[in-house]
Amino acid sequence: MAADVLLKCEKLCVGYGGGSTLFEPFDFELRAGELVGLMGVNGCGKSTLLKTLAGLVPQVSGNVFLDGSPLQSWGARERARRVGLVRMSGSAPDRMTVREFVGLGRSPYSGFLDGRTAEDERIVDDAMQVTDVSCFAERPFSELSDGERSRVFLAEAVAQQVNVLLLDEPNAFLDIPRSHALFRLLRKFVETREMGVVVSTHSVEYAEKFCDRIAVIDGGRFRVAPASEARNLGLLDWARAE
Amino acid sequence: MCAAVLAGTALSVSGLALQTVFCNPLAGPFVLGISSGASLGVALSLLAGFSFGNFGVLGAAALGASVVTIIVMWVSGRFRNVGVLLIVGLLLGYLIDAVVSVLIAGSEAEALRVYVTWSMGSFGRVLLDGVWVFALAVAAGLVLIVVSMRYLNAARLGDDFARGLGVRVELSKKCVLLGASILAAAGTAFCGPVAFVGIAVPHLAFMLFKTTDHRVLVPGAALCGTVLCLLAGLFPVSVPLNAVLSIVGVPVVFYVLVRGSRTGWW
Repeated sequence: MAADVLLKCEKLCVGYGGGSTLFEPFDFELRAGELVGLMGVNGCGKSTLLKTLAGLVPQVSGNVFLDGSPLQSWGARERARRVGLVRMSGSAPDRMTVREFVGLGRSPYSGFLDGRTAEDERIVDDAMQVTDVSCFAERPFSELSDGERSRVFLAEAVAQQVNVLLLDEPNAFLDIPRSHALFRLLRKFVETREMGVVVSTHSVEYAEKFCDRIAVIDGGRFRVAPASEARNLGLLDWARAE
Repeated sequence: MCAAVLAGTALSVSGLALQTVFCNPLAGPFVLGISSGASLGVALSLLAGFSFGNFGVLGAAALGASVVTIIVMWVSGRFRNVGVLLIVGLLLGYLIDAVVSVLIAGSEAEALRVYVTWSMGSFGRVLLDGVWVFALAVAAGLVLIVVSMRYLNAARLGDDFARGLGVRVELSKKCVLLGASILAAAGTAFCGPVAFVGIAVPHLAFMLFKTTDHRVLVPGAALCGTVLCLLAGLFPVSVPLNAVLSIVGVPVVFYVLVRGSRTGWW
């Protein structure tokens, strides 16, 4: 039996207000336990697609289903417990420590006064451990390097305990060993935590090596294929240097 | 003394909320012109004769403060630069001062005397029956801010980030800004345009409690504000309140500026 469908797009059309769409409507399913690489040239709509899937930008037309229900029908907090978008650009909050930042991931679970339980603290510790940021947990976020920040952003989403994890170019600021470690970690998430992960990246090498499927936005179309076949099917043609 | 506690709490928490919502360490009810908006309301009710007792002055102040807050919110949505917001706040302040001086020119001596005394700022003049109204307004403002705790803790990372955490940003932001306006208006209506408490105290609270968690910062700022206002109230009546607060406030603001230049705000 096929794994649970976590996220399902039907004739989805994404874009920013005014009805202008970035590429043709498409169907797509994300299942538990799979890692999908999202590729395409700058400005093709990868980020907008991810924002739409996270419910931060309304779709132009079509439907997105999260755990079987339309994305918009979820309450804000319920949605935040299921889907999280990790972005690398974020204003550096002055004075906030890494631990406090990662702790924000527990916000969708907290009560009225944003309190934290011992269980929350344990989950935050675990999230920091698995993303290898525990060693600078008490440092102010604003003093971190870009690479360190990337991991802290990821740690926050891990603390959020989502089952659909969307990442927007997470290895943009990472060196090669760290990028490897990141993709290995994402593999571990999909295999052990039953998560479904969509990660946008410019690295064909990592996409082919670590992802189950590769989705490409090219020439106004969204196409997806198993990672091992993507190259033969011509999905990666746009990435060739002429 | 009650007045010092209430005003200290109101202005500090208002300042903290504004700094958080606008992601601007130099925001505050005074700098953003919100206190001036409240002053205009007070001036209208005292000088132009729309006097309806405590509730009337407070209501007029709250209305003035809210109008300025709406303008400031509108501006903040259009300009990303933290400096623009402060300049707009200053300009609004000047504009309101100009309107008030026109009102002063046309007002009677007795009304003018009351207004000038008020505008010096003091914690000593709130009468006992006024304190209840004051306390009620502060409580209302605090409730509006406290119910938005999840938003406050995520707000410094931007609206989109807060949305991703399942915070209803639009609703919470309105709640917090209304609360901050009510607090600033209450503090101003009852104690006069009190300077620097709103902008400086949140930073004192940061330094003291070393956290960005608003569950600690809101009571922390209230406490620091209360202590500062009580201390300021100890000075003899002949020393104007705003002089004392400026002497404490200016170095703090200066410190924030210098620190900000290191962390790359400007």
